[in-house]
Amino acid sequence: MLTSILKRTALTAVALAALSTAAFAQLELKIMAPASPGGGWDGTARSMQQALMASGIAKSVQVVNVTGAGGTIGLAQLINGAKGDGSQLMVNGFVMVGAILLNKSPVNLSQTTPIARLTAEAEVIVVPTDSPIKTAKDLADRVKADPAKVTWAGGSAGGTDHILAALFADAVGADAKKINYIPFSGGGEALAAMLGGRVTAGISGYGEFEGQIKAGKLRVIGVSSSKRLANAPDAPTLKEQGINLELLNWRSVVAPPGLSAQQRKTLSDAVEKLTKTKEWAEILKARGWDDAYLGGAEFEAFQKAEEARVSKVMHDVGLVK
Amino acid sequence: METTLALMHGFSVALEPSKLLFCLVGVFLGTAVGVLPGIGPALTVALLLPVTFKLDPAGSMIMFAGIYYGGMYGGSTTAILLNAPGESASLATALEGSKMAKAGRGGPALSTAAIGSFVAGTIATFGLAFLAPWLVEIAVKFGPWDYFALMIVAFVTVSATFGDSPLRGLTSLFIGITLGLIGIDKLTGQARLTFGVPDLLNGVEVTTLAVGLFAVGEALYVASRRAHAPEEIIPIKGSLWMTKQDWKRSWAPWLRGTAFGFPIGALPAGGAEVPTFLSYSTERRLCKYPDEFGKGAIEGVAGPEAANNASAAGTLVPLLTLGLPTSATAAIMLAGFQQYGLNPGPLLFAEKPDLVWGLIASLFIANVMLVIINLPLIGIWVRLLAIPQPWLYAGILVFATMGTLAVNASPVELSMLFVFGYLGYLMRRYDYPVAPMVVGLILGPMAEAQLRRALQISLGDPMILLENPISATLLGLAFIALVAPFVMKGLNRFKAAED
Amino acid sequence: MTNQKLTGSADRPALLVGVLLLIVAAFVAYDASQQTITSNYGIGPTAMPYVVCVGLVLLGLAHFFVAFREGLPKPEPADRSALIWIVAGLIGLIACIALGGGFIVAITIVFACTARGFGRRALAVDALIGFVLGLVIFLVFAKLLTLLLPVGPLEHLFL
Repeated sequence: MLTSILKRTALTAVALAALSTAAFAQLELKIMAPASPGGGWDGTARSMQQALMASGIAKSVQVVNVTGAGGTIGLAQLINGAKGDGSQLMVNGFVMVGAILLNKSPVNLSQTTPIARLTAEAEVIVVPTDSPIKTAKDLADRVKADPAKVTWAGGSAGGTDHILAALFADAVGADAKKINYIPFSGGGEALAAMLGGRVTAGISGYGEFEGQIKAGKLRVIGVSSSKRLANAPDAPTLKEQGINLELLNWRSVVAPPGLSAQQRKTLSDAVEKLTKTKEWAEILKARGWDDAYLGGAEFEAFQKAEEARVSKVMHDVGLVK
Repeated sequence: METTLALMHGFSVALEPSKLLFCLVGVFLGTAVGVLPGIGPALTVALLLPVTFKLDPAGSMIMFAGIYYGGMYGGSTTAILLNAPGESASLATALEGSKMAKAGRGGPALSTAAIGSFVAGTIATFGLAFLAPWLVEIAVKFGPWDYFALMIVAFVTVSATFGDSPLRGLTSLFIGITLGLIGIDKLTGQARLTFGVPDLLNGVEVTTLAVGLFAVGEALYVASRRAHAPEEIIPIKGSLWMTKQDWKRSWAPWLRGTAFGFPIGALPAGGAEVPTFLSYSTERRLCKYPDEFGKGAIEGVAGPEAANNASAAGTLVPLLTLGLPTSATAAIMLAGFQQYGLNPGPLLFAEKPDLVWGLIASLFIANVMLVIINLPLIGIWVRLLAIPQPWLYAGILVFATMGTLAVNASPVELSMLFVFGYLGYLMRRYDYPVAPMVVGLILGPMAEAQLRRALQISLGDPMILLENPISATLLGLAFIALVAPFVMKGLNRFKAAED
Repeated sequence: MTNQKLTGSADRPALLVGVLLLIVAAFVAYDASQQTITSNYGIGPTAMPYVVCVGLVLLGLAHFFVAFREGLPKPEPADRSALIWIVAGLIGLIACIALGGGFIVAITIVFACTARGFGRRALAVDALIGFVLGLVIFLVFAKLLTLLLPVGPLEHLFL
């Protein structure tokens, strides 16, 4: 009984796939998601797969998951195992920059061929609504007075949230080494700690806290983007409150090292075309991701700058010695 | 009253034929996938997310809920039949369930799991519908110190029940805790005990250890004894269904399991493991036939399996009321909500009552469907055990490796699976219990992280554990559980001396 | 009661377990001592390893004690050839995956070797069964779940 259902589903799936693939494209791609299925990078990889195939940019796209160590295992595989392979892409992002340092990875992003930045999400600093802290300045004053007493809840150690907390302390003139940052596993636990009033402030991507902010349980102290968010025009940025700090949690794609100029151009063109399709726009809208396309040399420079910044922060906080 | 009306309305949504179909598909996929070790409901929902993109929101959420419940149920099937707990929440079920299956009582074991899941799921879903707003208020009050105390309760009660030799049980537990240290430390991001092997940075997967120790270890052990003491597997002995006696022994564990599972599942960091362990040790203590524990006592399947399913409903409490994803599956379901621009949380009930109450109603329906689908399947499942032994065990090993390969196909991960398998074989040979090791791996890191978070908030003051009423009470309970057996022994001796 | 055993030699398995536990404890302590980064507040990443280390040492010593008393339970003789077949199958699987031989071949090896270990004498038939099983599983995962199991030359034919 079970198998017959499975078979039927398989047939439908095959039929659907055949329908949605346009006939003209010749490109065959492999996209590595350097994380387990279901995570953020996996979601990006599978969304790319969906849009590339549906829009007919590529004939076939396979997603391969390589799990482990903040993506650095996948990175090592890309650099050592796929050299010169013009059909291979890997999804990565801001988090990998920190993971490379934290895990003392023998390989790093400069060894890859940068292709493009795809999406970015602003981070947000929040406090429980009944907290006496009203503005970024209030929070800054407390951090300056005694960094130990300001407890921050956020995601994993060395991740985007942690780095923002450190940058905040740094920007307001407090000692980043002394911040009392408590990593929680997953946004849910950090959110619960906030709602239960266990910690002073919380940091996460805006999407994760959106429901509670709109319900009036959390107050936004500052958004880490340069401009106010379109879906939250009332939330002030950190910048406009006089704290010189900007941080985006971006995701990008890179290719293996050792590509010819032609190979690199083919991949870059395919990705650029992808970001202009309506399928991609639909996915971004549905997932709540912001388009942050940045290609070619500009992306390469951006990636270098972020690497330098993260490296400095990680040393400042004492995560890397 | 208001809630009842809303729920009735929910049923009118969920009973639409198209919604019923989504629910059925979800339950089927969930059961099918839950049977595969290593591939849990979270992964299935994640993989199906893009497929359902074009469906309507209510329909796809209902399907996900079906997958969730189905996956929770499917996990017990392999745990009972093949002794391969595919997820940490099925560990406790495997302990007694696999013993029952080999003694020809696989039918009753699977039945009590199915009906227990139904009972627990139904009660817990009622709890979700009627108690959620109230329960969640308490749930967010749980601080790291309270979780730490809860872990200690679990540790103490569980370690008191494993094996007849405290030395061998504790050794197994400590090896598990040691394995739990491997990998990136959650609070500082530093690597511990990885010795420069990048594959170890993510730590030891619970499923790798459990499948290695249980399934691979057992296969090696049975093979090694084939010539001298061949294992006898009886596919069916007596009734395929639960006898009157089975019913009598199952109903109370179902209810107690639900009482553990639902509230702990509703805690943001509660999870499904702790309630199943607590249920197992409670049943073992309360059982009228304590000799049967370790040889296949039905209470040991009924309780944990009910706890497992009730906790699944419990995790939906913070998800729907606060938008708090507290398990991997809940996190993906949240992503599912968001893909339709919906934000679960306090506003969702007001803004989209159709969807929320339709979802809750369809959970009831999913439960009914699960029982209807699974009870007839039991007869087929049990016959799997009639496969000739060489093929049965070869199949079990294929199954065990498949799960590992699908999630992380690295030679290091596979090697770990087999090293654990060989360790499991040696431990069986010298009569070390294997379950405490998995318990140590699960609870050790959780307890450590929560304790350190607590001390970080209190700036190092350990009194925080005793100043908070919940943690103080739980620690008191743990202390009583720890010393009670000794005191009882002393009292008995005292009494004996008086006589 | 156990005293009469004191005169005999110590139980070797128990001694061995004791030694192994002490070695593991030493590893844990060494690793903890190498940690350079600690938490600013509360207890750092080394506290738990040291606690575990103490526990392991105590358990190790307890094993020595037991070794001179009743010892560990005496196991029954093991069927070595059965074990060798199964272990060989599992090593074959790891090698096959590590060398890029693909999922189907790997499953074929495990299935055939395990069945042989359990006393079947039809390696070719079992290999065929394993092959079909591997193929079916691979296709179900690839087409239905879009999860790619390890790909070797054989799998490329079906993609």
